[in-house]
Amino acid sequence: MHRLAFLAAASAVALAAPAQAEPLKIGIIESLSGAQTSTGRLYANAVEYGVDQINKAGGFNGEPVQVTEYDNAGGAPEAADKFRQAVADGVDIIFQGASSAIAGQLTEDVRKHNIRNAGHEVMFINLGGEAMELTGEKCQFYHFRFTTTAPMRVNALVNAMKADGDLGTKVYSINQNYSWGQDMQKAVEAAADTGGYEVVGEVLHDVNKIQDFAPFVARIKAAAPDTVFTGNWSNDLLLLMKATGDAGLDVTFATAFLDQPGNIANAGKTAIGHYIANNYDNAASDGKFAEDYKAATGHYPIFVEGHSAFALAQLKQALDTLDFGGGEIDVTKIALALEDSTYDSPVGPSSVRKADHQTIRPVVVSKVVENPKYPADDTDMGFQTVKVVPGEDAIYPVQDSCQMKRPGE
Amino acid sequence: MGSMRILALLAVLLALLIAVPPFLDLSWQNALVNVLIASLFALAFNLLAGQAGLLSFGHAAYFGIGAFAALHLMIAVEDGLAFPTPLLPLAGAAAGFLAGLVAGYFATMRSGVYFALVTLAIAELLHSLAPHLAGTFGGEAGISSMRMPWQGIVFGSMLEVYYLTLGWVMLCGLGLWAYTRTPFGRLTLALRDNEQRVLFLGYDAHRAKVVVFAISAMASGVAGSLLAISNETANYSLFATDVSAQVVLQTFVGGSTVFFGPVIGATLFTLFSFLISDLTRSWVFYQGLIFVLVMLFAPTGIGGILYELVRHRRQLDWSRLAWPALQSILGGLLLAGGIVYLTETAAVLFGQDYAMRRSGAAGALPPYELFGIGWEPAGVLTWLLPAVLLLGGGGLLVAGRRQIDGVRGRRSAPAADAAPLGGTP
Repeated sequence: MHRLAFLAAASAVALAAPAQAEPLKIGIIESLSGAQTSTGRLYANAVEYGVDQINKAGGFNGEPVQVTEYDNAGGAPEAADKFRQAVADGVDIIFQGASSAIAGQLTEDVRKHNIRNAGHEVMFINLGGEAMELTGEKCQFYHFRFTTTAPMRVNALVNAMKADGDLGTKVYSINQNYSWGQDMQKAVEAAADTGGYEVVGEVLHDVNKIQDFAPFVARIKAAAPDTVFTGNWSNDLLLLMKATGDAGLDVTFATAFLDQPGNIANAGKTAIGHYIANNYDNAASDGKFAEDYKAATGHYPIFVEGHSAFALAQLKQALDTLDFGGGEIDVTKIALALEDSTYDSPVGPSSVRKADHQTIRPVVVSKVVENPKYPADDTDMGFQTVKVVPGEDAIYPVQDSCQMKRPGE
Repeated sequence: MGSMRILALLAVLLALLIAVPPFLDLSWQNALVNVLIASLFALAFNLLAGQAGLLSFGHAAYFGIGAFAALHLMIAVEDGLAFPTPLLPLAGAAAGFLAGLVAGYFATMRSGVYFALVTLAIAELLHSLAPHLAGTFGGEAGISSMRMPWQGIVFGSMLEVYYLTLGWVMLCGLGLWAYTRTPFGRLTLALRDNEQRVLFLGYDAHRAKVVVFAISAMASGVAGSLLAISNETANYSLFATDVSAQVVLQTFVGGSTVFFGPVIGATLFTLFSFLISDLTRSWVFYQGLIFVLVMLFAPTGIGGILYELVRHRRQLDWSRLAWPALQSILGGLLLAGGIVYLTETAAVLFGQDYAMRRSGAAGALPPYELFGIGWEPAGVLTWLLPAVLLLGGGGLLVAGRRQIDGVRGRRSAPAADAAPLGGTP
């Protein structure tokens, strides 16, 4: 984005009396430098792919949809800064995924912006911020969550593993000590009755600081569970699984982020037999989307790319119902149309729950096997679908803390 | 340079800072707010690092504490407390001062590396503690509030925030400058230059250092609270080491030996990230490169060089220096062009998009586009250009420098720490 060129273009547009059709502007405020770059890049790739699909079908409002990337460098203050930059550039819809803390910052920024700039609203499509408060205390009309949350992942895991006979009756919960890990722990406790298990131990540990999980593994061993639930990601997941493997402990892991790029390659054979619940897996679909994505980007969709592309596809469906006749874009109308949209994703239908703007979406439960259809990380291992749990079975009730104020109220 | 002239210069700068922003677009107004906040933070940091000779690696702690304090007051105002919005930074000042007193008491018991490590440890302590104290710091999501109107001013627009920030930064910046001219300010310098002598003069060096530390922390707190007012949120990432590191970089690139040097560094780096960060993902690399180069070839920083030039402006033979200086600048620009070219080329050739196109082209090297021009990866021009830029630029620079040294008669540069704080009486 050449700012000078942009300024020149903006003033030229301001001077030319009959303005052209207004393009829909999308801003990706993502972690594109710093520690979370690899994840941020995947979200940005998927959004770009989705926008390309919209533009191939003719764009919106008579113009191609414009997309701009903003680098939040992995920090909330930088994200706030880039949000203002995006507003200055006239962005209508913001996408972000790689951190709940940043999602929390952006949803608040969007809320305040919309209070102060009625008629020029901005909406926020959250692709990966799974913190419960985003659809709880912080829920608001212009925020939409297009991913699962802890209860959805746990419910799906319990549902599928029980049907598969792999769940057992004793469950251990080990999670990172921050909102996500705490949400996971609560979800594991809450699902005990339906899953018919007893929580034999719980632990919350520091985030990405522990080098040796042996003491934790010793505690797990002492509790002798059948299944260990963990929402850990990155090193915390890898080191935990390795320590368990080294200790020769025979438990099944039920995870949320085992498909993060590099995990399978790093964990090696220790990973086999463990479960994961996520939004999408290539093996769970008919493969058409995976091939299309590969044709456009050079690789099969991995980790968060699939469901992020579906968010754009659902947005496209909502946009198809609207016609601003080349005039000003009304973000509130887009948000209302998105609320009413249902998208048939390759793994099942996804729709928006109006009360808190959480999407009701299928959850894919898979198991690590050898010689799968879609190998992960250039290994001979990968994911095999155990069950696709439909949205209605995975969803949880709206949180009491969500008091959404709708437009015009 | 007389202090009157400095004040006149500041007055012109202030007039520009007041008059120009209404005509700028939103993103520039926002960038200027960030420049002002970074400038104040760097000035506050330099009070300790440049003037008292105490290099702190954990100043993010006081910046963050100021931000959280202001935010808690903002939340109280939102809930109905009658407190004027423009005075919110007072909360940051008070919290920063108190935190500075306590932390400074322990940190200044040691000096040098040990002092730096203690400050680093204190900041890290807050950084790892903050996410767990949800009541005070709001977990990893942080706390947020909204600026409330006061006396008819809504504080909704960026411009209002800008003027509020400008007012506070000017007030604190001038206050810090005035401080250096008080007897205690002079004592601060003496602490850096010869602590033993300060002791012999009958002062309690530890107590004096604690006070300097607290004042520096107070001004950092004000800077943090201004960020909180501008962002309306704060989370624990404000305590992170990169915030502490950033202010060190800015201060030393700007020049820690000149009072307003850190402002130059803060302005440069903030505008650099504003203008470059969305153009290229390699911007952090360039930023690091600038720091290394400045430290290697101009250890007194940009401010130090400017100060030297102004101080010796009458002794320097400008007519003979002009050509080699121009030549050196041209050489530097060519060299920079070569480095940017190579970095961006590497970013393209080793990037994901290119890898995909390579696999599409069955292993061959397809052409790519950079700077709006198409390039052949195996083309002669593609690699001749950076070679010419680097060699030509390097040659011009070396030749230019040699001539400058010749004109200046190989006079060794004056010792860095002999440069006073911009404006000797």
